[in-house]
Order: sequence, then C-alpha cells, then structure tokens
Amino acid sequence: MEKIILRNVSRENSHRIEVYLKHGGYQAFRKVLKEMSPQDVIDEIKRSGLRGRGGAGFPTGLKWEFAAADFKEPKYFICNADEGEPCTFKDRLIIEKDPHAIIEGMLIGAYATGCSIGYIYLRGEYPIGKKILLQAIEETRNKGFLGKNILGSDFSFDIFIHSGAGAYICGEETALIESLEGKRGEPRIKPPFPVNAGFMWKPTVVNNVETLANIPVIIERGADWYSSIGSPDCPGPKLYSVSGKVKKPGVYELPMGTLLEEIIFEHAGGIKENRKLKAVFPGGASSSVLTSEEISVKMDFPSLAKAGTMLGSGAVMVLDETDCIVKAALRLSMFFRHESCGKCAPCREGTDWIVRILNRIEKGVGSEDDLETLLTVAEAMENSFCGLGMAAHNPVSSTVRKFKDEYLKHISLKRCPFKE
Amino acid sequence: MDNLNWLVKEIEKLKRNSPYPSARSLIMPALWIVEKHFPEILPEHMEVIAKILGVKPVEVEEIARFYAMFHTKKKGKYVVRVCTNLSCMLNGGESILQAICDHFGVKPGETTKDGLFTIEEAECMGLCNGAPAMTVNETRFTNLTPQKAIAVLEEFKRKENGKDNPQER
Ligand SMILES: Cc1cc2nc3c(=O)[nH]c(=O)nc-3n(C[C@H](O)[C@H](O)[C@H](O)COP(=O)(O)O)c2cc1C
Ligand code: SF4
Ligand code: FES
Repeated sequence: MEKIILRNVSRENSHRIEVYLKHGGYQAFRKVLKEMSPQDVIDEIKRSGLRGRGGAGFPTGLKWEFAAADFKEPKYFICNADEGEPCTFKDRLIIEKDPHAIIEGMLIGAYATGCSIGYIYLRGEYPIGKKILLQAIEETRNKGFLGKNILGSDFSFDIFIHSGAGAYICGEETALIESLEGKRGEPRIKPPFPVNAGFMWKPTVVNNVETLANIPVIIERGADWYSSIGSPDCPGPKLYSVSGKVKKPGVYELPMGTLLEEIIFEHAGGIKENRKLKAVFPGGASSSVLTSEEISVKMDFPSLAKAGTMLGSGAVMVLDETDCIVKAALRLSMFFRHESCGKCAPCREGTDWIVRILNRIEKGVGSEDDLETLLTVAEAMENSFCGLGMAAHNPVSSTVRKFKDEYLKHISLKRCPFKE
Repeated sequence: MDNLNWLVKEIEKLKRNSPYPSARSLIMPALWIVEKHFPEILPEHMEVIAKILGVKPVEVEEIARFYAMFHTKKKGKYVVRVCTNLSCMLNGGESILQAICDHFGVKPGETTKDGLFTIEEAECMGLCNGAPAMTVNETRFTNLTPQKAIAVLEEFKRKENGKDNPQER
C-alpha cells in the first residue's frame, strides 16, 4: 500500500525543511492560506471523516468547529506529543522523522480555528525528539511560515515546546493543560471541554501527533480521496505500533480496519521462534485482552469496541504461549498504580488493591476468592474521575474472565506455572 | 553559591523569553534547568525559582515532587533507566535490571558508590521495537542482553575514569 502518513520518513534528512519542501511540504498550508476560508478547511476535515488518533477517536473536524465557534480569545492549539501509553511508539517516529508534518498540521488547524499560539506538549522521555522539533520550528520561522502575518496574510501563529517530566496522566488532555499551566497533572472535570475552556480557560484545541500528520495530505488530496481509505465509518490510514513477541516489531502504516491477524502474521512476521500466539492487547495497556481465537477482528474504533475492547493508541502487544498472563496483567497494573495521579479514590486505591492481589496470585499465595475481589474492585474503578482509572482495570478484568484457568492454576499449584 | 548565581541568571533569562501568558507555566522549564545541571533539586533551587517567577515556593515544590523525572534526591552523573514495562518484560527487561543491579551492588532507585550511575526501573520509553531497552541520560540502547547492558555501562565508566575530573557535570 502507498504510504501516506509515513510518506516522508524513509528519506534521508526527512526531518529537515529543505527535504520536506522539496517533496511538496507546506503546499497544503499555502493552499489553505490563499484559497480557503477557515470554514472551508473545517468542512474539508469534517468530510474526510478523520477521527483523533490519540485514543478517544473524536471527529477532528467537529472539534475544530467547536473551537472556531467560541468567541473568547486568544485561542490555543496544542499538539499532544506525550505518547505515554505503554508500547506505543508511533508518534516518536513522526516526531523524529517528519516533524514538519506536525507543524504544518498545527498551522492548518490554527488557521481554521483562529488560534494564535501553539504548544507541543512533548513527553520528557523524548529528548532526541525535542532537539529535532526545536530545529524544525526554527527552520519554519526562518522560512516565514511561523510568526506574525505569515506570508503577508493577517494570520499570525507561533509554536513552542513544553517538556513533560514523566507523568503518563499528562497525556489526558485536561491534565496536560493543567501541567502546561505549571500545576500537577490532575485531570479537570468535563464539561467544560477544552475547546471552550482549556489552557488559561480559553478555547483550546488538543490534537494528537498522528492526527495532525494526516491534515496536510487531506488538504492536498481532498476529503473524497481520504475517506475512500480504510473503514467507511472510520476512514484513513492508521499507524499500528506492534511489539512484544513478534518477529518484526515496529510501526506499520495500514488502512484503518486492517485485520489484527494480518497485522501480526503478515506485517510483523508472526510470533518469535514460531511459537503459538497466546493473547493480544490490541490497543495499549488499558485495552481488554483478545485471545488467539479472537484476532480476526478489524482494527478500528467501532469494530474493537464491538469486540469488547478498544483501539486506543493502536499499540498491539503480543504474548506467546510461554508468557504468563497473570504476570502481564500485574506489570500493566503496576504501571497504572505508579501513574495514578491520586486525585480520586477508586483509581488511587483500586490500582493499589489490584497490584497487591495480583502479586499474591503470581507468587502462589492467592485464593479463589481473590478473583471475585479483583472483579469487584474493577467494577468500582469504573467510577473513577478520568479515563485512566476507568480503563486501568481492563487488562485485569479481561484476563480474569478469559484466562480464568491460568489464574486458577497459579492458585492450585501455589506457584506460577511458567516458572521452574 | 556561584552555581546559585548562575541559576538566577538562567531563570531570569527563561522569564524574559517566556512563551506563556502566565509565569507559573515556567515552573516545569525552570525545574528542567535544575534537573539537567545539578545532582538534585534542592530547596534553595526551588526558592530561587519561586522568587523570580513570583509564585509560592510550595507551588514549585509540588511540581518537583509530582513528576517522576525530577530528582529531589541526589542522582548519579548518569541516570540509567531500564524499562520493564510489558514489551521489555516479555523480552527479558527484568533480567537486565537485575544483572545491572547485581553487577554494581545496588537496588533499583539507588546510586552507585562512585556517584556515577543511578539505576532506575523505568516505564515504557517508546523504544519497544528494540525491546528490551534502556537509556543512559539521553542515549538509547536497545535489543539488550544482560551482558551487553553491563558492557555499555562499563564503557561509560572506563571513559569517565580516563577524564581528569570524573565528577564534573
Ligand atoms: C489516561 C489518558 C492518557 C492519554 N494519553 C494520551 C497521549 O499520550 N497522547 C495523546 O495524543 N492522547 C492521549 N490521551 C487522549 C487525550 O485525552 C485526547 O483525547 C487526545 O489528545 C485528543 O487528540 P485527538 O482528538 O487528535 O486524538 C489520553 C487519554 C487518557 C484518558
Ligand atoms: S482516575 Fe486516576 S488518574 Fe484519573 S483523576 Fe482519578 S486518580 Fe487521577
Ligand atoms: S515497553 Fe520498554 S520501551 Fe516500551
């Protein structure tokens, strides 16, 4: 398949503006500035059917329309480059290899929504990406695409980088905004939504890196072309980060809705050492597990929701027959315990309970009652304040349900069956 | 004291070039300066930041403590982050952490006696296509084995010992 999001990444010096310009870079932005009104841009993005790639899948055109409609000023445009979902590394690829696609996407979005200041909230663990983005922004300013009265128009916009410092919760858009305001990364209650009251309580658009990288091509080649790719109700290309026990871990660009089975066995080369596939978390650490019988599922937002799990960030985490499911659930739960911001009790206490119970099961000192308790705690966590706590139990409750025998085996053997 | 004067100048520069509507947004960037140039973020650093930015000291302190990458405890010259999240774990990340800790006689979170390395168990760093992975300050190492990981750190140590003043930051 023709590469769309990854159209530039394999070129030498793809992160430099000369290379980007040579291959049609900033043409979409020029077109927008010269030929399209902000409403034209919004209509085009709406018609493309693009849905946010940060995890929630919200229609991007609609988000922009809400922000454009708000009268408060100034408005802010934020690129969410916090990429903290375990085993997700697709945004890093774009940041390091095609930073100008992000900047161009932000420029077009800012023009459409009337934003004058942009921030890239970059996770602290990406210092290499920071250097590349800083250089890219500088190059863009020097070419006159950023700053006051861009290319002689009355559109002014500039972009700054804000480095996170190792807090997964800051990927959640309202926690991100709190963090950008210099506070602890604790989510805010919604509504109001950031499009109306975000950074400094002003209208704020937050878009994921991958979402933004789609924008220039949609403008360039049109909504009709774009919406013909992938699933009809969720179109476009999608980046899947595939890792774990596959032969060829990596980022794969495929049409949205490609079968999970195809991603694992055709693109990622199948399972290491030709072992048997055991389980897959199809959408990052907070997605519910799929068994080896459940992998002929389309990898898009609606299909995975129907299968009882989610696309999330599109991080496909693959386990083989030699891997312990309890251990996997335990490790992911430890992540959530560490990353819970502590604001609300169901998540703060629930993640801790889950880790303690899973720990004793994995160590061989759990009881059958523990499984019921896990599910009860999981249910209580559904009442958490934000998405982190609401979804953190998914790897646990889904594995308890689908791999109950393996949990029971730990309990009856009084040890982990995968350890000598 | 000299170092504090240097910090004052840096934070003042940061404030002059602020891209934010509110000075409070500069707390994280300011703490990053301290994190990069000092072995630990101390109360006197936080005081300098608070004073120049015109925010309450506690507002700086809560940020320094909330974010995992800020060290309010003394760290080594190199922070070694060994990922043990799922993809790295499935590919042996835990044994790498264990091997490094055994080799240097420390526990995760501790610093080696020579002050060179702080060994940390890390969450996913987005290097999962090269699992198991670790970083040493800003340098990445992927597809590790316990032997390779130890060799990498020994190489850092060898280079350090070749320098006149190994403790210089
Ligand atoms: C706990 C949590 C973590 C999140 N982490 C990220 C992240 O790292 N990157 C991201 O783009 N979105 C993340 N999101 C989703 C954002 O809140 C938001 O929906 C997204 O950035 C919107 O951009 P989009 O519409 O382009 O997808 C996270 C959400 C939650 C609840
Ligand atoms: S669900 Fe967890 S992360 Fe979200 S607000 Fe509550 S404690 Fe914080
Ligand atoms: S799981 Fe280790 S770098 Fe992602």
